[in-house]
Amino acid sequence: MPDLLSLVVQQTINGVYLGCLYVMVALGLTLIYGVMNQINFAHADFVTVGAFVALFTMTRLATKMLGMPEVAGYLLSIVFALGAGALLGLAVNAAVFAPLRDRGDELRPLIATIGVSVLLENGQLALFGPIPYQFDSPLAKETLRFGKIFFSLQNVLVVAVSAAAVAALYAFLKFTFLGKALRAVSQDRETSGLMGINQSFLIGLTIVIASALAGMGGALLGPGLVLDPFAGATVIVKAFAIVIIGGFGNLAGTILAGILVGIIEAFTIQYLGAGLIDLVVFVLLLTMLVVKPTGLIAERREENV
Amino acid sequence: MAALLEVEGIELAYGEVAACREIAFAVAEGEIVTLIGANGAGKTTTLRGVAGAMLPRKGRIAFMGQDITRLPPHERTLAGIALVPEGRRVFPFLTVRENLEMGGYKFRRDAAKVRGLIERMMDMFPRLRERHDQRAGTLSGGEQQMLALSRALMSEPKLLCLDEPSLGLAPLVVQEIFKSIRAINAAGTSVLLVEQNAQYALATAARGYVMQTGAIVASGACADLRLDERIKEAYLGRK
Repeated sequence: MPDLLSLVVQQTINGVYLGCLYVMVALGLTLIYGVMNQINFAHADFVTVGAFVALFTMTRLATKMLGMPEVAGYLLSIVFALGAGALLGLAVNAAVFAPLRDRGDELRPLIATIGVSVLLENGQLALFGPIPYQFDSPLAKETLRFGKIFFSLQNVLVVAVSAAAVAALYAFLKFTFLGKALRAVSQDRETSGLMGINQSFLIGLTIVIASALAGMGGALLGPGLVLDPFAGATVIVKAFAIVIIGGFGNLAGTILAGILVGIIEAFTIQYLGAGLIDLVVFVLLLTMLVVKPTGLIAERREENV
Repeated sequence: MAALLEVEGIELAYGEVAACREIAFAVAEGEIVTLIGANGAGKTTTLRGVAGAMLPRKGRIAFMGQDITRLPPHERTLAGIALVPEGRRVFPFLTVRENLEMGGYKFRRDAAKVRGLIERMMDMFPRLRERHDQRAGTLSGGEQQMLALSRALMSEPKLLCLDEPSLGLAPLVVQEIFKSIRAINAAGTSVLLVEQNAQYALATAARGYVMQTGAIVASGACADLRLDERIKEAYLGRK
């Protein structure tokens, strides 16, 4: 295989891998926006919590206490991070978001998400300290090689888990009664109430799904992060950019934008250097805002959620 | 006749501004009752109050003897009230079938029942069967009205509230919609009809209330209202 071609294939693979990580984080943001027209500023911290839960599940619980092999321990940690994200979403919704929403205020829940973010960051700072943790995925060491192209089992796992999560979300929204009701709420909240749909329940469910994805995203991302209590913030800026490029609240657009940004990032690293990634991504974001502020595929007047 | 719906002195407001004051009316079981009046008289607001989209700041609403004044809309649907909102408000990106399923949300744990109800709606409006897999946003206005009506019926309501079902529709389609409304009523569902087209409304309903600037100013049997000189002049466009 000629060098250029294998280079392009290699960087595309790297890009898709990165993109899948971003999609896991961005999906929750866009889902919450699509259903309740609200930005969740605490989303990054749900990712961080997921990463810490995964780290401790793998290093303390699975391998030390249960004596599981490392790989099995990491897989278990992904499940635990998913569950931890869901539980955290459930708790935060019940304690903060739902009561504020019931008072019919739009601004207060938004500001509350910033409050939850500060709370989670400082809570983790108190628990884990400011020094970054080492989070090594046992799968990152296992590399597969095809000619000049190689990738790790971690890459394969991330892409497979992300694809499975997207497929599950799609099936939920398309084929289940609750999923269709969620789309109904996102399209016309008042009318959905008149249909007998309990919006508070569905909004809570949306937050739980988004948080579960964020938690799982944390477990997948963790090994690539400098894992401290503020680790999520480094990804969330890019996730916001992806959500905007994809068209706020548009799931398909977000997935497409996530993969696209991942690929652009991989090629930027190859040709321009890693230091320019943010520059390139945000030039792209600004260009999108000027040229096509409704997002990548919004022009087809696509459904959001 | 037993009163199905009793509205007693409700006041509905948008923010600080009261849109309706001292509204009192009743719908008996099996009856078609209409609220007529000019644009901005408060008909839609009153209907939204009945369906729970707005909560009154004064007064009381009773349905089948139960106080429902503070019930949120989704619980009123469970109690047996359904609303066909003004402008139809179908879910544009859901298919016709999915829209109907949403109307039957309260039966979601009984898939066979929901399927059966959808079949009945499609028997009533065969156009919906033809377009069952199409997004509701792509339907014509008349088809959307049929869908909105069927969607409301999916919850098997005891009281069907209709807000301007004739709005923006061709006369032939309006006739078809009103024929269905009468058929639905004949099958046992009470109807509360808000309509600007007073002629149709008074011909369809048994009793009517006339609204003006947020209050009920006249009421009676539709046969009498049609003969009332003031109503003729104001709403029927003839002397």
